[in-house]
Amino acid sequence: MSSTIFYRFKSQRETSRILFDGTGLTVFDLKREIIQESRLGDGSDFQLRLYNPDTGEEYEDDQEVIARSTSVIARRSPALKNSSIHARNKGTGANLNQLATVGNAMRYVTGKPRVFQNRR
Amino acid sequence: MNEQGNTPFKFFSLGGSNEVGRSCHILQYKGKTIMLDAGVHPAYQGMASLPFYDEFDLSTIDVLLISHFHLDHAASLPYVMQKTNFKGRVFMTHPTKAIYRWLLRDFVRVTSIGVNSTIGNDDNIYTDEDLAESFDKIETVDYHSTVDVDGIKFTAFHAGHVLGAAMFQIEIAGLRVLFTGDYSREMDRHLNSAEVPSLPSDVLIVESTFGTATHEPRLNREKNLTQLIHSTVSRGGRVLLPVFALGRAQEIMLILDEYWSQHAEELGSGQVPIYYASNLAKKCMSVFQTYVNMMNDDIRRKFRDSQTNPFIFKNISYLRNLEEFQDFGPSVMLASPGMLQSGLSRDVLEKWCPDEKNLVLITGYSIEGTMAKFIMLEPDTIPSINNPEVTVPRRCNVEEISFAAHVDFQENLEFIEKISANNIILVHGESNPMGRLKSAILSNFTALKGTENEVHIFNPRNCVEVELEFKGIKVAKAIGN
Ligand SMILES: [Zn+2]
Ligand SMILES: [Zn+2]
Repeated sequence: MSSTIFYRFKSQRETSRILFDGTGLTVFDLKREIIQESRLGDGSDFQLRLYNPDTGEEYEDDQEVIARSTSVIARRSPALKNSSIHARNKGTGANLNQLATVGNAMRYVTGKPRVFQNRR
Repeated sequence: MNEQGNTPFKFFSLGGSNEVGRSCHILQYKGKTIMLDAGVHPAYQGMASLPFYDEFDLSTIDVLLISHFHLDHAASLPYVMQKTNFKGRVFMTHPTKAIYRWLLRDFVRVTSIGVNSTIGNDDNIYTDEDLAESFDKIETVDYHSTVDVDGIKFTAFHAGHVLGAAMFQIEIAGLRVLFTGDYSREMDRHLNSAEVPSLPSDVLIVESTFGTATHEPRLNREKNLTQLIHSTVSRGGRVLLPVFALGRAQEIMLILDEYWSQHAEELGSGQVPIYYASNLAKKCMSVFQTYVNMMNDDIRRKFRDSQTNPFIFKNISYLRNLEEFQDFGPSVMLASPGMLQSGLSRDVLEKWCPDEKNLVLITGYSIEGTMAKFIMLEPDTIPSINNPEVTVPRRCNVEEISFAAHVDFQENLEFIEKISANNIILVHGESNPMGRLKSAILSNFTALKGTENEVHIFNPRNCVEVELEFKGIKVAKAIGN
């Protein structure tokens, strides 16, 4: 039994799809699938963010499960340099959850999800 | 927010800022939106090579101007026109459009072949049909004539970089912005040097490829090139010149063809053959013939006086593929692509690089992350393109003599002074040379610091906005980063 999640890059007209078995995919796995399917590269020079098309809200938590048949908006943007991550962290006291969404997309390619101790 | 309803001028790069590749910049002023260039990054394939198009609403763009036909400036145009919600009008010069057509058809073909043989996944970001459909919608502009699209006025000037290359001066509500694209201030064998527009500019968006480096004079470089090649073939070696199929390759061929004629007793009559390996050779000859009137006086005179096309070379023969190439002895091969990523030049590289008698001669600008950049480090081995498990020993010589037709520091600074814009935005350069260029320009203009003519220089990253405020037409101050 094959399930589908639909994704469309923000600037694109056409929708693409990820096929998988099961009832849903974690944000982490979905990002990895999209990076592979759309051949976005090794993840070092970009970040990939996913949004709910109805609410515009970002799926920030890599462990959140996206149900099959859902549509998401994908957004490819430049990677942030390490220095700017630190600057941001210092300046605003951003929590680690937010930090997980900045930087680059390499962890989705290497397949090692980041685990944070103080996740809410 | 802005006093007296002044709207700020905004600059935003989707690519080509603090990097060379995927040139794409957005200008916004008084409700008008202009995109400059739509390139790809030659070090990447497929979607990864695109500018960061998700970071801007492309449906708001009124006008898209393409500076020249190089892939890092033009190759994602069919993608923008066919795959996104872009609805604007697209302009380029006549020769750019003529050459763009052949180049991109080749780009689609090469990309798909390269991928089928290795990964088996479709890496094309658009198809032949997308290319054909979008091609008819591209409008052409003449140099020096001003086009007005609902209050966006723009004029193309010669950039001296490749045939058809343009700088654009754009005027919106009295504010003038000059985008150099890639440009050269040195007259070479077939092109004029870049022009200085007669009207002043408030903002200058200028390339910084060579940062603070200095070029040797052209005649010295020509001499070094011919001597290096001559001594290599005299020792029985083979010379590979990886070139982009059209543009600078023709300049190199003009140099070599003349030298071969002058040294006919040692090199000519097929003793040491020169090959130009490109399936675009025939087509490009007709384009170069058609547009000789856009080149410099020297080449036009040759064309007129001899009644022959100076781009029909006596000592150079064309190769469509390597199957028809008989590799018997010393020879010189110009082959594309210029950065040895895959295709003809890469195949020849892997064939020739194990022999210490041979020479790889890099004449173009090599982008970070490409094989051309890597081979200049003189590695012991290089990976084989068709079989990533296999490495090929590298014993050949590797030299670089640039004919890339980008300004060096002195040429850039002189041009910047002539334009005398108070706001300068640096693009098309790796971070380090660009940073050095910024410091060097700033120290050149220290005397103006604190005056109303103070020069502001920006070297933003991709997707970091630069916002400038103008009161009336006169520059007021820079805000933001
Ligand atoms: Zn160029
Ligand atoms: Zn360029």
